[in-house]
Amino acid sequence: MKRANRILTILMFIFLYIPMVVLIVASFNTGKDITQFEGFTLRQYGELFRDQDLLGLLGNSILIALLSTAISVTFGTLAAVGIHRLKPKMRKLVMSMTNIPMTNPDIVTGVSLSLLFVFVGTGLLGNRESLNFWTLLIAHVTFGLPYVILNVMPKLQQMNPALTDAAMDLGCTPVKAFFKVILHEISPGIVAGGIMAFTMSLDDFVISYFVTGSDFVTLPVEIYTYTKKPIQPKVYAMFTLLFLLIAVLMVGMNLLQIRAGRKKDSKRPISKPWQIARRCIAVAVALALVVGGGFLFFGNRQEKIILNVKNWGMNMADGTDDTLDIIAAFEEKYPNIKVNMSYYESNEALYSQLKNGGITVDVIIPSDYMIHRMIEEGMLLKLNFDNIPNFQYVDEEPFKNNNSYDPTNEYSVPYTWGTVGILYNSKYVDEADVTGWELMWNEKYAGKILMIDNSRDAMGIAQYLLGYDVNTPDKAELQACADKLAEQRPLVQQYVMDQIYSTMENEEAWIAAYYAGDCMLMMENNPDLRFYLPEHQGFNRFTDAMCIPTCSQEKEAAELFINFMCDPEISGANMDYICYASPISEAKNHMEEYLAESDIIYPDSKILEKGTAYKYLGGDTARYVESLYQAATKTADNQEAGGSLVIPIAMLVVLVGAGGGLWILKRKKRKR
Amino acid sequence: MSKELIRLRDLTMEFDGERILDGINLYINDHEFLTLLGPSGCGKTTTLRIIGGFLTPTSGTVTFDGECINDVPPYQRQINTVFQRYALFPHLNVFDNIAFGLRVAKLPKDEINQRVQEMLEIVSLKGYGHRQIQSLSGGQQQRVAIARALVNRPKVLLLDEPLGALDLRLRKDMQIELKRIQQAMGITFVYVTHDQEEALSMSDTVVVMDKGRIQQIGKPEDIYNEPKNAFVADFIGESNILDGVMLEDYKVRFFGRTFQCVDKGFEPNESVDVVIRPEDIDIVAPDQGHLVGTVTSVTFKGLNYDIIVEFKGFKWLIQTTDHCAEGSTIGIRLNPEDIHIMKKSEYSGMFGDYSSYSAEYDELTEDAGDEEE
Repeated sequence: MKRANRILTILMFIFLYIPMVVLIVASFNTGKDITQFEGFTLRQYGELFRDQDLLGLLGNSILIALLSTAISVTFGTLAAVGIHRLKPKMRKLVMSMTNIPMTNPDIVTGVSLSLLFVFVGTGLLGNRESLNFWTLLIAHVTFGLPYVILNVMPKLQQMNPALTDAAMDLGCTPVKAFFKVILHEISPGIVAGGIMAFTMSLDDFVISYFVTGSDFVTLPVEIYTYTKKPIQPKVYAMFTLLFLLIAVLMVGMNLLQIRAGRKKDSKRPISKPWQIARRCIAVAVALALVVGGGFLFFGNRQEKIILNVKNWGMNMADGTDDTLDIIAAFEEKYPNIKVNMSYYESNEALYSQLKNGGITVDVIIPSDYMIHRMIEEGMLLKLNFDNIPNFQYVDEEPFKNNNSYDPTNEYSVPYTWGTVGILYNSKYVDEADVTGWELMWNEKYAGKILMIDNSRDAMGIAQYLLGYDVNTPDKAELQACADKLAEQRPLVQQYVMDQIYSTMENEEAWIAAYYAGDCMLMMENNPDLRFYLPEHQGFNRFTDAMCIPTCSQEKEAAELFINFMCDPEISGANMDYICYASPISEAKNHMEEYLAESDIIYPDSKILEKGTAYKYLGGDTARYVESLYQAATKTADNQEAGGSLVIPIAMLVVLVGAGGGLWILKRKKRKR
Repeated sequence: MSKELIRLRDLTMEFDGERILDGINLYINDHEFLTLLGPSGCGKTTTLRIIGGFLTPTSGTVTFDGECINDVPPYQRQINTVFQRYALFPHLNVFDNIAFGLRVAKLPKDEINQRVQEMLEIVSLKGYGHRQIQSLSGGQQQRVAIARALVNRPKVLLLDEPLGALDLRLRKDMQIELKRIQQAMGITFVYVTHDQEEALSMSDTVVVMDKGRIQQIGKPEDIYNEPKNAFVADFIGESNILDGVMLEDYKVRFFGRTFQCVDKGFEPNESVDVVIRPEDIDIVAPDQGHLVGTVTSVTFKGLNYDIIVEFKGFKWLIQTTDHCAEGSTIGIRLNPEDIHIMKKSEYSGMFGDYSSYSAEYDELTEDAGDEEE
């Protein structure tokens, strides 16, 4: 019996900790591929500590966690004392009410807080930038508070109520009695609650996502936008450190509690590690307050103009891998401007963030059809081209003339462009089969095909294959495309975006449709990969362009920024990092040669002529396309999901089995 | 007697509509050792907490040195308290516990040191200053609690069942100790207990309470010898309480006989309660007795025997140093000063019948008393 009990316990622990073990191993892995351990290295840790952005974000997260914890602890403790003084019936009611925010789904809390902040900030106070550092802080306090109250209450209930009377009897006012006596009694609860609030705040994504403004972003929110490319190994290193930090905190807390418990029984006068630890925590909190206060003080006082730029994740050279740190270069040139970068993961996400309001953004870089939509909906400001002399370098064709998204060239300046083509592995795919988009439907390669996971691109591929217009509102044609996608469904291994990197590089899949620039990067990691543009059928040619949304507060600085990005030298250096094509031909002179001469990034102009751009279809058609796409592909996912569900189901069975086993054993013991 | 220090006037206290105190009137003199005595739930602790300032009475006033202190919070009263189970601060050692009040008052360090050391000596804990509270025995904790209160030199010390958690031997020692400290320091003690023996042996004045009302106030001897009603008679020591009729002054009739007594001032033929203390009854030969009964049980108590004697179906408790065999027939004599007459009260008929007497009886009452703690 005892042995079974032990085995079940061990199983449970394995279940709980194995993901962390995988992460930690990956953080020491020489190779970039998590499926193969190639050797031990500390390189990721070195990179982590050289990455100012990442450390800055981590700093932000820790700052907000410390501040919100300090506030939660203060007010939570006071609230607990107040609740404790209520009559028992009332106390129960209030306690269950304070517990609700804890059990409330985060997403509900996040959305409702965001609504409140925008309502109060923009609606009542007329402040356009109603989501900011302070709203994030308030949000974190709201979910930290209940944890403090929940941990302090039992300590208050365990405390001998006569202690307060005794302190008052000896001359303490109620406030003095609290600080001199009660605080000592309930401090283990305060520390426990504080640590919980701290960890909750540190890793919160869902709530933060909805209440984050453009001025202050925390690590989890930022990580979520790293979807265009896979998460870098240095992030594993950071997570490992974070996990260890939290583990040390929790173990430390438990040890202290055990110690405090032992103190009660011991007959000897004991040393005071507990008090020392408490002092340390107090110092840490005080320090955080000072640092936070200083940060805010100087952060807000600085005379610099804050320029808020919203970009795709990893879509601007940042100094890593020997590239130019573009933001640093810009700030060096314009010392009175401070650039504040934040990220979005899709055109649609950017659109809804702007629509929701409450944030200030000065520069955005959406794709063509989204620019079209934003212009139509009056979400963009007209640019003053007097401030953008470098616009002269931008190619006439097809940007200044004949562009599909901003025909009058009043709202946008192109940033990058590229194509969507097929990436295939020449080791497995017969060159004779590479004849066009039909490769994606070739049954020979069933289960090794990756389809791009967004409605516009996927439908587009079907439209090119069937020879239809990609911007058609014709429902019959669209239905035919959807049928074609449904036909492809059994052959598709996965519908993916950023996971394509590892899957293709590891040769788990052989054929995929994706953006040329990304394909180029993958080909650097696996020389067997080839890129193919089905010129005879047509393909998508997209443009991402810089725009100024109507919520901008610093239009002139934004125009300076756009102008800076159009400097051929800067644009060239930027492309070295992002691997897309520059709309400025002269920039080629400043790029690495292999990129400038690559026919993947810069296809021959004759081929390029066959490419078409997506236009904004209008809300009704866009929704129709989306629903057709979902119907054609997503049900497939579920059917197919059987295989991928095996692991989670197995884990669940282990958990339930172990839990149930332990329970039965416990019950049997009690009966005995 | 010295001057009056505290006066409670028409105090009532209600919790959630339940009346805990019902018209308490009481004065406490300077330097007096006054005990509030009563069973659990009688309101004695509530009265004490009102004096200490931890409760505000529903109506009535508390005056201290002639001034109404109803609205004065506890930390501004010249009163200190020794709490039930001491309420010592677990995070402080003995010295720091005792110094607590002085530090709050921001006294100079030297003075604090000197006064705490002095106090440690008074409570016989010299050299215990650095000890943790958890490492002390119950009696030692008790002394720390007393020292912690007294070091502030209050005019009045309130003690809420301070000896309740100690074993019998320690309790007896501490009773003497407390009395000694009270006399040495010359301050007023207001003492709450449910132990009548403790009350009688320590107090200058005993206040017997029940159901939120004061039943009797008096010196210990008066309370014992002249109980005002059946409750007091029964609660203070053992009593046989009988129905009787006061024929005229100094003449009472019960059990079909007329007895001489020392009481007067009743209506002719008024129904009364007759109290006869078990130790006052003389056992004589059956033919010489006023009453003749049969011994139904004998319990050896060390100093004396408790014997239960049945008279005409009514059982009496008699305490005697002479052994009487179970089942034997004995006679008793009652002298006029052994008979105490009380007016009828709401308590008449509830006490003083030993028909159900058994050895467990004592234990039962003790349990009842403990519940209040």
